[in-house]
Amino acid sequence: MDTRLIQGVAYLGLIIFLTFILYGYIIHLYRSEKKGKRNYEKYGKMALDDELSSPPVEPLEENEKESK
Amino acid sequence: MFSWLEKNPFFFAVGVFVVIAFAGLIEIVPDFAQQSRPVVGAKPYSLLELAGRQVYIKDSCNACHSQLIRPFKSETDRYGMYSLNGEYAYDRPFLWGSKRTGPDLHRVGNYRTSDWHANHMWEPTSVVPGSIMPAYKHMFTNVTDLETAYAEALTVKKVFNVPYDKDIDGDGKVDVPLGSFEQAKQRAMQYALQVAQETKRQDLVDMVKQGKIPEIVALIAYLNRLK
Amino acid sequence: MQNPAIEYDYTVAKWFSYLAILFGILGMGIGVWIAFELAFPELNYVAGEYSLFSRLRPIHTNTVAFGFTLSGIFATWYYVGQRVLKVSMAESKFLMAVGKLHFWLYFLGALLAVGSLLVRYTTSKEYAQFEWPFDIVVVLVWVLWGISIFGLIGIRREKTLYISLWYYIATFLGVAMLYLFNNMEVPTYLITGMGDPLHSVSMYAGTNDAMVQWWYGHNAVAFVFTVPIIAMIYYYLPKESGQPVYSYKLSLLSFWGLMFVYLWAGGHHLIYSTVPDWMQTMGSVFSIILILPSWGSALNMLLTMKGEWGQLKENPLIKFMVLASTFYMLSTLEGPIQSIKSVNALAHFTDWIPGHVHDGTLGWVGFMIIAAIMHMAPRFYKREIYSKKLLEMQFWLQTTGIVLYFSSMWIAGITQGMMWRAVDQYGNLAYSFIDTVTVLHPYYTLRGIGGLFYFLGLFMWAYNFYKTMTASKAIEKEPQFASPMAA
Repeated sequence: MDTRLIQGVAYLGLIIFLTFILYGYIIHLYRSEKKGKRNYEKYGKMALDDELSSPPVEPLEENEKESK
Repeated sequence: MFSWLEKNPFFFAVGVFVVIAFAGLIEIVPDFAQQSRPVVGAKPYSLLELAGRQVYIKDSCNACHSQLIRPFKSETDRYGMYSLNGEYAYDRPFLWGSKRTGPDLHRVGNYRTSDWHANHMWEPTSVVPGSIMPAYKHMFTNVTDLETAYAEALTVKKVFNVPYDKDIDGDGKVDVPLGSFEQAKQRAMQYALQVAQETKRQDLVDMVKQGKIPEIVALIAYLNRLK
Repeated sequence: MQNPAIEYDYTVAKWFSYLAILFGILGMGIGVWIAFELAFPELNYVAGEYSLFSRLRPIHTNTVAFGFTLSGIFATWYYVGQRVLKVSMAESKFLMAVGKLHFWLYFLGALLAVGSLLVRYTTSKEYAQFEWPFDIVVVLVWVLWGISIFGLIGIRREKTLYISLWYYIATFLGVAMLYLFNNMEVPTYLITGMGDPLHSVSMYAGTNDAMVQWWYGHNAVAFVFTVPIIAMIYYYLPKESGQPVYSYKLSLLSFWGLMFVYLWAGGHHLIYSTVPDWMQTMGSVFSIILILPSWGSALNMLLTMKGEWGQLKENPLIKFMVLASTFYMLSTLEGPIQSIKSVNALAHFTDWIPGHVHDGTLGWVGFMIIAAIMHMAPRFYKREIYSKKLLEMQFWLQTTGIVLYFSSMWIAGITQGMMWRAVDQYGNLAYSFIDTVTVLHPYYTLRGIGGLFYFLGLFMWAYNFYKTMTASKAIEKEPQFASPMAA
């Protein structure tokens, strides 16, 4: 039954750890937006404005250099 | 950390993989060894039974019939003792099915006979009025592929140590002999003749006597084995 | 900014769209046929042993899941992938070649695999019936798709990956893992040198095989019928309606939630079986938790339409997609309910289960793929959609079909489950098994009719698509949002 106990403890530990990760992620999402570091909602535009000729929401650096 | 992940497709993919692989690891691995232990007295399928099992699989009997009796009174009343883990130790693949359009078959060998099966597979409504199961007449003329069945038996014997040619219950005798193909075939022929005679159909007996086992005979041998 | 001569290249997307229509009609046609076989058993014999129910059922499930749905997934990938990465396939000869090879190998493999099922080559494991040589073809097809995904990402202009791509990547990885592990088998010919070269035997036995199989079976539903379809709706609904996703943050959160939770729920296929109790409970509990991320995505889709519900009246494609998310909510609620142990005791092995599956597949998967392909059609051919009216009719006919399907299967399943356990006053079983079969005849008939409605809708879809391709009015430039339609 020892393995069962280890399994149980590991499982509980995992759940707690993941809860932290989950809430950490939510906080991360909102905080980085509040601080103005990133704006997640602008990524929604990627689907709407998707012509080949329209400028990327966040271009790759190499491309930026090329176009300069 | 998170925003970095969103922009690095490679590490993102690794992250996703870890997250999805996790559950399987936790759920499947711990009980794997224990699960494959056979119940006391469980024996591997003989050549003819295995050939019948292959027929069962080929015509996807498991699309409509389960082989899993759940531990409820209504099920044990109808089908017999509920199923045990170790009874399936030699089932490769498992044949639990997922839908009972027809009844469960896990212990059908306890309450049906060879001639019942033969009549039923030839014309289901002749023994079960109102049955929606189709007839499987091609099984009465198709010849059983004993060679493939032998190949399968030999493979599981070699690769997974399935106890063919071994004394399983400790009474000093070999329980399920396999031997060479010729030996195994000869035993299967004798067994098939017995089953064919039980079906009370002369055409099946004649075929077996000519050295050709009809698929239905192998299938019935398999079904009779399910107890 | 960029060279104006470059345009998105839809060649491969078009090919896969044709295949989705073809496999859709084929797979669902067989489905309707076998539905009627259950109501009228004489139909089993129209083509001798080749039309027996048990022979056709795996062909139905495989054609619909791995023919229709996968074609739809690939078609939309080769369309959405380019657009949200802002890079054309025409820019890379290599990726173009990979895409085309992917298509042909897939088409050839699909035909061979379906043919093998027809002549009785099957491993019997649900949704993994193909024998080992065809499994190898499937793996090759999958690798090609992977090259295409990561190749296109490698040459992208957009730095951040849009949420749809997350889901496509997850589909790729998830199916790869599941398929490989569940199809571990030993070809008997290679070991013994005799017997049928195509035959193989599973690496796992009995209960272990069942666990691996339902870990696969359940999650094949996740990664073929859920994840990639969410990928589609996150692109096509915003694009068609002109509304950005309601909350991009919520979409990210539900992504990780879904990825983590879904895989645990496979155990709910094995409740009251011989797998360990703790696993059954885990399957049950996680199925309930699964409601959260599922509804997170579904509500996100519906809220995207906030303030724009007028479009629902105007635009049949929006109708298809909104109803798809509604059916997604329905089946992700129904599934967890069926996973509760006491409900499962009643529902398992009955027709309620196929009923549940078809809520999801007809309502959610089917409608989303239909809408996606009709959205792409005007962009493929620079023509209007041929007939809005026909699309409307198709929508209502197919919706009626789905309602008939699931309502009849609900009743059938619960009736059957109740009759199996019913006892008389002395505690003996009240019904013999055959009683519980004959009683289902009216429901089986009704289900067949529901399926037939949906099937007829597919022909309207195919006709509309064909006419759009060949005879519709040309448009000057690619429409930005709503797809133009002739009345």
